[in-house]
Amino acid sequence: MADVTIDAPTEPTEGDGTPYDPAAHGGVPESQLRDHGIGHAADGHVIHHTSTGLSNTKLAMWLFLGSECLLFGGLISTYMLYRNRHSENLGPDQLWDIPFTSASSFVLLMSSLTMVLAVSAAGRKDERNTRLWLTVTALLGGLFIAGQVYEFTTFYREGLGYTTSLFSSSFYTLTGFHGVHVSVGIIMLISLMAMLGKDKVHGDKAETVEMVGLYWHFVDIVWIVIFTLVYLIPA
Amino acid sequence: MVIIERPADSTAVAVPAVTASSTYGYLRRPVQTTGWRAWAFSVDHKKIGIMYGVAAMAFFLIGGIEAGLIRLQLAQPDGTILSAEKYNQMFTMHATTMVFLFVMPMAAAFANFLLPLQIGARDVAFPRLNALSLWVFLFGGIFINSSWILGGAADGGWFMYAPNSAVPYSPTNGIDFWVLGLLITGIASLASAVNLIVTVLNMRAPGMTLMRMPIFTWMALVVQFLLLFAMPVITVALFLLMFQRNFGATFFSVEAGADPLLWQHLFWIFGHPEVYILVLPSFGIISEVLPVFSRKPLFGYPFVVFSGAAIGFVGWGVWAHHMFASGLGPVSVAVFSVATMAIAVPTGVKIVNWTLTLWGGKLRFTTAMLFAVGLIVEFTVGGLSGVTHAVAPSDTQQTDTYYIVAHFHYVLFGGAVLGLFAGMYYWWPKAFGRMLSERLGKWNFWLMIIGMNLTFGPMHILGLQGQPRRMYVWTDYRAGEGFFNGALWNMVATIGTVILTIGVIVFLVNVWVSRKHPPAPADPWDARSLEWLTTSPPKEHNFDRTPTVHALDEFFHRKYEDVGEGDQHEYVQRMTGEQVIAEEEANADAHIHLPAPSYWPIVLAFGLPVMAYGVLYNVLLIAAGAAIVLMAVYGWLLEGADAHETDYDPPADGGDSSKELVASG
Amino acid sequence: MTRRSRLALLALVGALVAGCANDAPQDTWDPAGPNAQQIHDLQWKVFLAAGVVGVVVFAVIGYAVVRYRDRGQPIPKQTHGRPALEIGLTILPAVILLGVAIPTWQTIFDLANTSDTECVVNVTGQQWWWEVDYPVQEGCGGIDEPIVTSGQMVIPIDTKVLVRGTSRDVIHSFWIPRLNGKKDMVPGRVHTLRMNADEPGIYAGQCAEFCGLSHANMRMEVVALDQADFDAWKANQNAAYVPPAPDTAAAEGEEAFITNCARCHQVDGLEDADGEPIIARPDLNIWTGAAPNLTKFSTRNTFAGASWDTLAPACRDDVWNSDPATFGEKYLAGVTDECLNEVDLREWLRDAPAKKPMYTDPEKLGPTDGLPRGMPYLALSEDQIDVLIAYLLERK
Repeated sequence: MADVTIDAPTEPTEGDGTPYDPAAHGGVPESQLRDHGIGHAADGHVIHHTSTGLSNTKLAMWLFLGSECLLFGGLISTYMLYRNRHSENLGPDQLWDIPFTSASSFVLLMSSLTMVLAVSAAGRKDERNTRLWLTVTALLGGLFIAGQVYEFTTFYREGLGYTTSLFSSSFYTLTGFHGVHVSVGIIMLISLMAMLGKDKVHGDKAETVEMVGLYWHFVDIVWIVIFTLVYLIPA
Repeated sequence: MVIIERPADSTAVAVPAVTASSTYGYLRRPVQTTGWRAWAFSVDHKKIGIMYGVAAMAFFLIGGIEAGLIRLQLAQPDGTILSAEKYNQMFTMHATTMVFLFVMPMAAAFANFLLPLQIGARDVAFPRLNALSLWVFLFGGIFINSSWILGGAADGGWFMYAPNSAVPYSPTNGIDFWVLGLLITGIASLASAVNLIVTVLNMRAPGMTLMRMPIFTWMALVVQFLLLFAMPVITVALFLLMFQRNFGATFFSVEAGADPLLWQHLFWIFGHPEVYILVLPSFGIISEVLPVFSRKPLFGYPFVVFSGAAIGFVGWGVWAHHMFASGLGPVSVAVFSVATMAIAVPTGVKIVNWTLTLWGGKLRFTTAMLFAVGLIVEFTVGGLSGVTHAVAPSDTQQTDTYYIVAHFHYVLFGGAVLGLFAGMYYWWPKAFGRMLSERLGKWNFWLMIIGMNLTFGPMHILGLQGQPRRMYVWTDYRAGEGFFNGALWNMVATIGTVILTIGVIVFLVNVWVSRKHPPAPADPWDARSLEWLTTSPPKEHNFDRTPTVHALDEFFHRKYEDVGEGDQHEYVQRMTGEQVIAEEEANADAHIHLPAPSYWPIVLAFGLPVMAYGVLYNVLLIAAGAAIVLMAVYGWLLEGADAHETDYDPPADGGDSSKELVASG
Repeated sequence: MTRRSRLALLALVGALVAGCANDAPQDTWDPAGPNAQQIHDLQWKVFLAAGVVGVVVFAVIGYAVVRYRDRGQPIPKQTHGRPALEIGLTILPAVILLGVAIPTWQTIFDLANTSDTECVVNVTGQQWWWEVDYPVQEGCGGIDEPIVTSGQMVIPIDTKVLVRGTSRDVIHSFWIPRLNGKKDMVPGRVHTLRMNADEPGIYAGQCAEFCGLSHANMRMEVVALDQADFDAWKANQNAAYVPPAPDTAAAEGEEAFITNCARCHQVDGLEDADGEPIIARPDLNIWTGAAPNLTKFSTRNTFAGASWDTLAPACRDDVWNSDPATFGEKYLAGVTDECLNEVDLREWLRDAPAKKPMYTDPEKLGPTDGLPRGMPYLALSEDQIDVLIAYLLERK
């Protein structure tokens, strides 16, 4: 049995152990990567080098969304457990208006498309179109929320209060949490627009738009899951 | 991000004093480098780490007083020190405080202080978010504890099983405080998890590959991933409970057709990873301490890393072993029983590796080392008793008895707390530039070890003799006679608590007298990892020159040279730690960039308990809290993480040039 | 080891074992029936294995600590590990654990088997006492009329009893350590637990799931009788009500009972002045909707959630410590005049919530619609208490 000695001192290497390659770091020699990966690109623009190559904010957003998956996972599980626990005449069969909800789901889906357009405009540094598409996205999101408010009101009129049954509590909690996420997204979109207009966005603008976009797409995807599990699959 | 020009020569720094820009047109950015403002608005990970530690220590004392009262009540049969009501609040808050307000934030203190230093970074990825985590945790902790004077604390046990947590069974506000407070501290944990994961993954110094990271960094990383995925689960449970208690929902009301086991599943899906969240940081700490004082690298570094990660994964698949008596049905019980045994394997790997690190070493028994070896021994006891209740049938005899109390105190006190104390003795000179007294430290260690074994050891006997947990009194009729009688061992446990308390007081005295100690040497322990490659306490910018890493145990390899040939390794000291650090100072980077202090984290954090009080007392308060939060969020966004050059007002007349890096960011 | 030290060690072990002989009544290592025995057969081996592993680990650590302390030796080799050794030391515990897992698996399924049941007893937990009832069945030697009791579960020995349990409020846990492990009794669900005692005797238990304020005061006992004694007990439980003789204290007690207690506590056969049966309505008066049936109060050795004994200490010890052969007779004697534990019973009747913490303060009952959780303070006079005790003493 031989002793194993790993990691004797070596020259700087890439993460995979190959020698340091400046080309992989925007042409920055290793010695310039000292300030935790901040260097200067040729045009004088400050660039950030991270160990993974992903930007900090992007990585953080992905992690946050990973966490959010479990939040919605818990809420969806609760709903699935309780979805049959309602009185005879106030269950999904009586309440769901699939065409209406499909329409509002379509609206939300379209808002993902417009968000993509906003991100791509921001990538081209086309500020006018960025703001245009952000506005459209916010409006579509608003339309979805309006639809949800209308839907909730209808259900409430038909007698489905928040505390009527386990089904109603878990349904309102799940969709309510999602609605709050969409609303926060809308606030983010509007704030971003305003800040772009006044040139108040710090750091990389395109990346900021992309961040909001990531969040927005996530919220949309969650809705697709909710729509499928809650509305489309029969109890 | 902006770069502040800084002369390479580290002496006689002359930086133009700058005042910060403003938010909302009139709120100037904080610039103080001394006084309370330097702490309250700081985004320096080291200051934040120290504040985490101080706050956690305060909660440790509160939780300790609660434990002391519990033990005094149980010293004799039919105790009368606490009423049933107060006793139930006491054990609920003892657990809540120790888990959420001591061990977790104390681990966060170490992670905050050490992670950037250990990976060669200047700060965490999101310094203001870091400050936010601290203040949210602190205000959340104070919020929970404010229930003591506002009608009584939560009384449902830290596991808060439904339906005992429903309003008819706990009509006071205590559980509401608990729910809202944990939601608040959960935000802190989540924010800090995201922040630290990004920091470790993205901000490593050149050459700091994943498999060269110090083991504490690794364990902290695993913990942050556990937090990232565990916190949302408990958040769902807490929201459901809040909606039930405050808005009339019936998620756990059997009358409405609910299943009370839903709570148990949600709680333990969070709760079991939580156990590893508590204990893995200490595993990381002693994996740093043992090699230093054995003068050998950690034995089987990759095995320790992967077993830590394995514990992190398997930890998600064993939650139902907390529910063997809940009536799950034999198939679930059998599966979870075997899964639980499986998790003993990676845990055993760790103990083996620590022991083999000692083997063949050159052991120096400093206080830190004593605590580390103490952890191996005491944690092994807890691990082995853990195996006895992985065996589900045997667990049905042991669960909810003092045997379990003994088990998890050996794991959490013997594991987590001893590790944290090892860390405090080891890194105290790093954080404060002064050594703790080794003489007092040894008193501290032996009193705590004797105290903990006398306190928790007898609980094995009490539990096997059938004394259940969470009983405010016990009776002589059920105590038995002979050597294993409950009366004797309950008394011994209480005496042990007194000794343990004295041990903690010795620690506090040690901290107090250390103020007057002479400055500590730069490398007092002949250390091995990167955080020692700078002065003690570290400068605000951590490293004069961002280190380039060539090896695991980089600092050791800079001091010692391998003069052996082939497989024969022989190490000769080439430089002292001081010399290595001096070399770094001599080659200081010209550009040093630091993030800017900010008011907004503490303001935002303050808004949250205001909202929580609003939920309990007055809707207007919710609005007020929300307004504070919104204002802080926008202030935060508008101000930016870094102070741009254009953000600075012109230098004040003849600005105070003695301040280094004023508001530098 | 010298002969003398060997003898000393033997003596020590002997003393420890002797100490174990009169251990606590809830000792989990003192099985008194096949279910607990099966658990014990499994657990002592696991404890032994854990103990051996522990001793080995501590010996290795102890050796390393002594052997390798810094005595000025040179800096050791900077070895990072030996993968083969590591893998070996990973597989070894895995193999040990596999050896534990297989019998564990078997035992789990054995203990969950309900197909061989010979007698069914229902238990229902509520804050803070257990109700025990026996449905009509052919099991248990035949039960023609349901029996309702509380605090003590009486079972025939050598009989595979199946406890079916649930709860009326929060989660409780039914646990008689010497007969089997514990099982949570959850509202809205029925959980089962096997029970079987080898010998006549009293087996102590305690609610093991935290259930609120008086969790510590929620106990239970299983009384095992041989079949003949069990049949006698059964017959007596459903024997007709014997009203107290006129003009006795007990007769006054009956009136006091009807006035003060009968709203919640059922006594079967009790009639009002018109000859109508008096039906207790705990469902209208108590949050959990139940109160102990007191028809045969004095056949039980405990009251108030089995927290206190109806027998004075000397009589209690006599029953608890009697040998299996004479136990049945002593138990069936019930509570006699000279054996009554008047101290605790009196305190209980004087002010129940002061003796056992319960939620009965009228000002704090908003969340339970004004209904108390537990027995409220009844403001009984000492005279009323005297006659109530006289009345209760005859309920057997």
